[in-house]
Amino acid sequence: MNVTQILFWFLSVLALFGALMVVTSKNPVHSVLWLIATFFSISGHYILLNAQFLAIVNIIVYAGAIMVLFLFVIMLMNLNKTTEPKKNRWLKLAGGVAGGCLLLVFIAALKSSEITQQTAEVKTGDIGLIKNLGRELFSTYVVPFEISSILFLSAMVGAVVIGKKE
Amino acid sequence: MNALILSAVLGVIMMFSGVMLKQKSAVRNIAITGLFLLLVVNILEMSGMSFFRINTAGMMHFDRFSLLFNCIVFFSTFVYLLLSARDIEKTGNYYAEYFTLIFFILCGVILVSSFQSLLILFLGIEIISIPLYILTGSDKKNLKSNEASLKYFLLGAFSTGLMLMGIALIYGSVGSFSTAQINMTEKPGALMIAGMILLLFSMSFKVSAAPFHFWTPDVYDGAPTVFTSFMATIVKVAAFIAFIRLFGEAFGNLQPQWQIWIALITAATLFIGNITAVFQQSVKRMLAYSSIAQAGFMLLSLYAMNADAKEGLLLYSAAYSLATIGIFAVLIKMNDYTFDGFNGLAKYQPLLAATTTIFLLSLAGIPLTAGFISKFYMLKAAVATGRHLWLVIFAVLMAAVSVYYYFRVIQAMYFKEGQPGIITTSPVFKYTLVVLAALIIILGIFPNLLLNWYYF
Amino acid sequence: MIYLLQGNLSVSDSGSYLPVAIQVLFVVGLIALLIFLTHILGPKRKTADKLQSFASGIESHGDARQPMAIKYFLTAILFVLFDVEVIFFYPYAVIFKELGWNGFLAVLMFVGFFLCGFIYILKKGALKWED
Repeated sequence: MNVTQILFWFLSVLALFGALMVVTSKNPVHSVLWLIATFFSISGHYILLNAQFLAIVNIIVYAGAIMVLFLFVIMLMNLNKTTEPKKNRWLKLAGGVAGGCLLLVFIAALKSSEITQQTAEVKTGDIGLIKNLGRELFSTYVVPFEISSILFLSAMVGAVVIGKKE
Repeated sequence: MNALILSAVLGVIMMFSGVMLKQKSAVRNIAITGLFLLLVVNILEMSGMSFFRINTAGMMHFDRFSLLFNCIVFFSTFVYLLLSARDIEKTGNYYAEYFTLIFFILCGVILVSSFQSLLILFLGIEIISIPLYILTGSDKKNLKSNEASLKYFLLGAFSTGLMLMGIALIYGSVGSFSTAQINMTEKPGALMIAGMILLLFSMSFKVSAAPFHFWTPDVYDGAPTVFTSFMATIVKVAAFIAFIRLFGEAFGNLQPQWQIWIALITAATLFIGNITAVFQQSVKRMLAYSSIAQAGFMLLSLYAMNADAKEGLLLYSAAYSLATIGIFAVLIKMNDYTFDGFNGLAKYQPLLAATTTIFLLSLAGIPLTAGFISKFYMLKAAVATGRHLWLVIFAVLMAAVSVYYYFRVIQAMYFKEGQPGIITTSPVFKYTLVVLAALIIILGIFPNLLLNWYYF
Repeated sequence: MIYLLQGNLSVSDSGSYLPVAIQVLFVVGLIALLIFLTHILGPKRKTADKLQSFASGIESHGDARQPMAIKYFLTAILFVLFDVEVIFFYPYAVIFKELGWNGFLAVLMFVGFFLCGFIYILKKGALKWED
């Protein structure tokens, strides 16, 4: 086990534990904080894969900006009392069984596929470097890139329609 | 490509028209003219006049199927605006924005009808969904509209998440977003099958197929009726075109694996849609369930996936969209959305009642209407596969059930006494309804008028 | 020390992040130390008044979870949109010479769309605070 592997396992455990805590925390603000922890550990994974740009973007946009929005939403919901409705136990059980089945399917699919033999390019890959990423984004993927601006525009219009006082 | 760029630009123009122009009628006229232009430009591209040469790196392909489908969508939206543009303005203060969002949705429709890469599919689905969440909640003072919007957003975001997960798994096993590349995979691994199943689930959600339909009645019922009309018709057929393209082009070689799943989903959708529609008291909610039932019929084309199915889907989307837009346009004018609200409509508004009857007959699939011929194409395509004949018999049976609830409206209009209240309609509205009804009958007698465009 | 800062960026292994790791450890360690020290060194008077949460000198009341105005949310969501836009500039800035005019036009179009959105937002007064 070299340093990279130790880091990988540490980050994986942190990401999974954080994700579990997001779901199981009673306090929604704690959920958001755990989600931020998860995002940070995923950013760590990006760095291990030599994709520094994605790692930084993940922190700036997701852990930074979007989590602030999440907090705002929680504040907007006025959860000052324990107004949380009691969830049906059978519903919980059904959800657990369904999610567990999905997990099993994924694990089985991963085990049977060939990619288990290939290891991620931890040290040599340079595809995630900003230069290569930019080259791909502005040449091969330039059409989806432009189209995404329509998505942003509709989000802007939507924010004004929904959020602005009439 | 013509239409894509024009509709994006039109969306931006509509954005500013709301700021610059103070008159509602000017904004409305710009929208209607813009949509007409969109239709013209798209027809020009069909006849080989493409204004833009953009290298999409094989991510989009505008073939006749997608262009003709776009024509149908633009025409339906054009009719929709002619009939209901005034009602759109009544929803809230942001009347220009509603048109903006509709144009952006059309951008998404163009993307999902011509994608060759899962990336474009995802972008298209998102561009369709996000404005729809907003349109659903645009009646801000109405609690039901808010609830519908939130419900739609949460469930829609979840299903989009499933779709992304599926795309990621497929990319992981194939190493490409291109549908052609995915289809060429020899010996697809379990990872790819898992991805395909996730895509199947999320697309079934988007078209509101049976085990994933729970959002549909509430969202369609809660949304402002004008936008329900848009969602239930144009957006729904667009999701179908994405569905059939995805499973035809990316997973065509895997058909033996997914065909039985689609057959089961189809049967469940037909059953739940039709049976639940029978018990509804509100026409709006009945139409929501009817849209699920009609989705079941459209799923037959996905199940069959042959030449007949593609023709049938084009016809079906035209027949279903036009008829449903017509019914909703009348429904918006009503004061009471229950079946009793339609009592005696024929006496006071004979024209509205007559055209509504034609639309309902078409939806029920009565001969001489477009609905009949499109259902016929679907069944023909399903029979041609030579397997699972029970599905065809079941579909016919369910079509028979659907006659019951469509005829309840006709019965209320013609054979019951009542006072539907004063309904004011403009001459344009009436003429458009008549033209629409005529179109449905013409399409029912000469379906080749539409289908010839597919080949020539 | 200079050697540490000149890690080969194009080929990274965990070793090349050593300077970053040292820095992070130093920052976290310093903060932890400072917090710890203030607790040790500072005087403590644990009375009921002192332990109350500080609310600008007035008596604290109610819960911290108050529903807040939606205008904060509107501003925040618009911030996120433009944040994402700016992030696209960074990869462009790194290789803009190599991309030439094609890349410039692509970015120009993207920015053009965003500019439309920005003007729209200003015209609509979505960023006006008082209303």
